[in-house]
Amino acid sequence: MKNFDDKDIEKELKIHARGLSIPEGAAEIFISRTLKDAKKSLRNKTIITEKDLERAIIKELKKYNADLAYVYQNHDTII
Amino acid sequence: MNTLEMQPPTCYNLNMSAFISIGILILAMLILAFLQLTPGVYALSYHYAFGKYSKIKSSYLMLFFIIGVEVISACIFLSIYYLLSILFFDNFKPETSIFTWILSGILITLGFFSFFYYFRRGNGTKLFIPRRYTKALELNANSIKTRSDAFVLGALSNACEFLFTLPLYIIASVEIMRLDLQNTSINLFAIMFVLSPLIPLFIIRYKFQAGQTLADIIKSRNKNKFFTRLILATCFSLIAILIICFRTIY
Repeated sequence: MKNFDDKDIEKELKIHARGLSIPEGAAEIFISRTLKDAKKSLRNKTIITEKDLERAIIKELKKYNADLAYVYQNHDTII
Repeated sequence: MNTLEMQPPTCYNLNMSAFISIGILILAMLILAFLQLTPGVYALSYHYAFGKYSKIKSSYLMLFFIIGVEVISACIFLSIYYLLSILFFDNFKPETSIFTWILSGILITLGFFSFFYYFRRGNGTKLFIPRRYTKALELNANSIKTRSDAFVLGALSNACEFLFTLPLYIIASVEIMRLDLQNTSINLFAIMFVLSPLIPLFIIRYKFQAGQTLADIIKSRNKNKFFTRLILATCFSLIAILIICFRTIY
């Protein structure tokens, strides 16, 4: 069992956003909205896997920035 | 007397041999430039560094990554060259020994391996190396803070590809020595060979500096996955064929 910390995910997403040259202010707003909506969509589930959380975040991120969603989805498949 | 008969028969053979050596070296350089692990780690590190630090600092850190790659590849190549030159001093002749056959066998195996197993099945460009090592490389790419971190990561990522690069270094050393025997300038080929792993890194560096992002690089890697496999397999097989045809005595 693993505890997920919002702040870690937020930090990771912010690094990706900065790496993609997304303006910091905009990134901060849509990342917090993404996390909020992702949590809302997983509220009904009793057991949440790491993949479930990742999938929910990607689904929400796609609404705001497709590149960031793509990098978040594929950053561990590059090597 | 026929004038053709008066020409020394070795003249043609020497030129042909040099031509074959240069061909093998170019194919080996092409393989080194097409290997995907070091460019992948470089792109990931550049992305993370750019996400954490200023543009100048990330660019500076990544320069040390390149130096790390270059230093390790130069060290390994020169060590192998030195070891083989000692063997050559003892009248070691690769064409009359089993050495060439073993190398050809390894190259054919690598050609087959690179076509079918270089990339893992599924989405993305996951490579053949064990997942534990990729996780460690990703973690290190994410946590570059100093120049020495970048240097070590560059050296480490290049070392992880030894399965593919080691036979190439051996072949290149033998061929460069063969060129040396024929009074051809070897320095140029040795330098070109040692610098060839840097070509993809400079291309990625240029792409980042031109405004492309990691997303574009991942997409282009995915798009060219089959082409990379094909080039690697073809080059390995061609080198093996050239060695079998021109570097073995039955």
